[in-house]
Amino acid sequence: MKKILSLILCVAMLLSSMLAITSCKGGGGNGGGNGGGNGGGGDEINLNLDLSKKPTLKVLMPNSGKSIESVNDNVNAALIEQLTGYKVEYTQLPAVDAGKTLNTELMDKKQYDAMKLTKDQFSDLVNQDLLVDLTDALDVYGKDILANISDESWDVVTIDGRIYGIPERASSDNIENPIVLNNDLMLKLGLDEPETLEDFTNVLKEMSAYLGKPALTFDKYTPLVYAISAAFGIYSYWQEYTVNGKTEVLFYMNAPGYKDYIDYMNNLYNLGYIDVEVVTNTAADATTRFVKGFQSGSDGAKAGAFACSLWSVPSIVTSLQSNGIINANQAAGELDDYLYYVRSLKKNASDAEKVYRSSGYTYITAIPYYMAENAGYAIDWMNSKIKDTETEDNFRQMVLGTEGTHYSKDANGNYFPIDPAFAEKDDASYYMTGSNENKYTEYWKARVRKQAELFRAWSELMEDADTVGVYNIVDFTPPIEDYNSNRSAIEEYAQNQFYIMLKNGSGELNNYLTQLNGSKGCKEATDAINEWYK
Amino acid sequence: MSVKTKKMTLAQKVKKHKHLIPFVIPAILFALVFCYLPMAGIVIAFKDNPNFVRYDVFEALSRADWTMENFEKIFSDPEIFSVVKNTLIISIMKIVILFPLPVVLAVMITELRSKRFSKLVQGVVFLPHFFSWVVIVGIFNSIFGLYGPVNNFVEILGGEATHFMGEPGWFRWLVVILSGWKEIGYSSIVYIAAIMSIDPSLYEAAKIDGASKLKQIWSITIPSILPTIIVMLIIRIGYLMDAGFEQVYAMLNPNTQATGEIIGTYVYKLGLGYAKNDYGLSTAVGLLNGLISMALILGANYISKKKTGSGVW
Repeated sequence: MKKILSLILCVAMLLSSMLAITSCKGGGGNGGGNGGGNGGGGDEINLNLDLSKKPTLKVLMPNSGKSIESVNDNVNAALIEQLTGYKVEYTQLPAVDAGKTLNTELMDKKQYDAMKLTKDQFSDLVNQDLLVDLTDALDVYGKDILANISDESWDVVTIDGRIYGIPERASSDNIENPIVLNNDLMLKLGLDEPETLEDFTNVLKEMSAYLGKPALTFDKYTPLVYAISAAFGIYSYWQEYTVNGKTEVLFYMNAPGYKDYIDYMNNLYNLGYIDVEVVTNTAADATTRFVKGFQSGSDGAKAGAFACSLWSVPSIVTSLQSNGIINANQAAGELDDYLYYVRSLKKNASDAEKVYRSSGYTYITAIPYYMAENAGYAIDWMNSKIKDTETEDNFRQMVLGTEGTHYSKDANGNYFPIDPAFAEKDDASYYMTGSNENKYTEYWKARVRKQAELFRAWSELMEDADTVGVYNIVDFTPPIEDYNSNRSAIEEYAQNQFYIMLKNGSGELNNYLTQLNGSKGCKEATDAINEWYK
Repeated sequence: MSVKTKKMTLAQKVKKHKHLIPFVIPAILFALVFCYLPMAGIVIAFKDNPNFVRYDVFEALSRADWTMENFEKIFSDPEIFSVVKNTLIISIMKIVILFPLPVVLAVMITELRSKRFSKLVQGVVFLPHFFSWVVIVGIFNSIFGLYGPVNNFVEILGGEATHFMGEPGWFRWLVVILSGWKEIGYSSIVYIAAIMSIDPSLYEAAKIDGASKLKQIWSITIPSILPTIIVMLIIRIGYLMDAGFEQVYAMLNPNTQATGEIIGTYVYKLGLGYAKNDYGLSTAVGLLNGLISMALILGANYISKKKTGSGVW
């Protein structure tokens, strides 16, 4: 009896210890390739497909935040089917652990004719040798794709001269990370628009005193307040610096001006000008605080300055309206009396202005290796979507819809949305697989014009963008294994240390840098990026 | 000779309990399929990045080289010691502070005179167990927030508002408080059941002898459920290296990392949270974790047997 009991208990005990192991390794133990073989098959692309026979395509999409039924039933999906002649069944990745799910799906050889991937996912799959080499097939099936995507973009998906995916370049290279100031308060307090760090400190000082609360807020994902870091020569995550006569690409935490940036921020924090709860704030929390700053006498958290993304402007406007600070009429117009945008600060007024300009590749569409044989159909489908000529305007119809119904065009060739029909096009970019780079930026502006204040903000921030904008160098890299596999570790570490140093100062910075460059893999990544950049 | 006798006894036992055997079969199968079979996966800890996606399991493993690199990485990581320290501190705090409370609660609930009220109390204290950690942390974020009720109270008393969720010094205490709030009720079920099964004649006899309520609890209830308490304690100690991943993951922020990062959250970030899919490293940490837990459980059982005479086996 005792023996049986001890045996059972042994099992129970091992069970508990094994639980730890199995739960950690994420089920990579057994499983293996079931499925497979049906459809697809060979690793070679068939270059002689009969394109008049259009099969139903299965396409894996990123998470849309909606049910998969509504993704499939969407008007844009229907339009694409009508324009291309291909029926498509969309599947989407989950919002959480998408990368892991993607790996398991490929492990099971799920029959996807195309997959719309993020750059990290693409790089991960390419490194594991899981994607089809599309180079030759593009010459046969993808002539319009080749014609409408720039060489710069093709470099991002090219490894050893071979193309593994179809890049979708960001809609527009925006300057989009301002500090929004409560202009109502600025006018009330008689403050000038800040240009230098000193001006800005003073604005925060006056605002904090007036509000009785720290004036500057942001959310927990803002390790670089671009408008401020610009004054310290840090414009983007990865850029060129010259240190001791040596010029190389560095991560922002390794930048020569980083310590000064931290000291400045820590000083603002100690003076009581920065929201203590930034470390746990969501963007919605920060927006609420900023909007409350317009109301006199309300208790709780308030702020007068909000380091955010340009894309927070619509929610700020909505929130101002729903809190009765502005009326519907005002909300539909420009709000110069309420909002003021600082895109960058300078150390000295005489310094040249420079600021981060976002760009890069939101998505890359690729095909899994076991689906190579019929890849031609998927490429043909994508090719059809990108066409935009006088006779075939599929791309324009996808993005803008029909002239007179969804959009209008003025004499200067600017596109304007027509409410409410244009709202249909909110999801259009989700269904895009590679963008027509010759046309997209102009089309896309119709979206910014949906809200007058957003367009004002965008236009102000974009003034002289070509002279002041600085790009993040890694936005344009092809997959670099040492960078892509360490990227999230590096970025998360840097972000965490920022919030710690914001509170405690830069005293431990050297230790943090040792960790960053050592165990977090920043040294490897930096070397690999510089290797490519040369 | 003795082997033969034992075998005989086993055969006899099997014969005697043959009706019970079918009931055990699912459990044994479960253990075999989900616990013993996957154990072969430990081999991943000693392999250099097998490519499971492109190849099937066996081919991927045979293609990958043998390596001890995963273990070298673990032991050369400066953070690992503070992570283990945090895990142990949080776990021990949870055991010391939270382990006795369900027993007390169980005694209190069973002593309630009104059966309906007792059921109501049970229902209410069980409830938080069914909330997810993300929800609970969300609620407590506002309760302990800078402008939340706790800080309002502190300010009324003349104190200064503190951002509790961002204070490394408060983090472990908050972990214990939240964990207690959520789990005490649910953990008390076992003890309530144990108390229910105590022979009522013991209490009657004690009453006749003039024992007070407290005396009855101390001399009858507690000794009667002591074996249950000890078994629960030993099982609990087996989970010492697991300080509550979900909870800590939901509560952690950069400012509290120094005192709050535990093995679970660290492994998650290391192996799976980033885009890395580093199964090898995660398996290695999991294996070490499992071994330590096994040592702890064996140790706890040994001590318990020495001191109280009762243990799990």
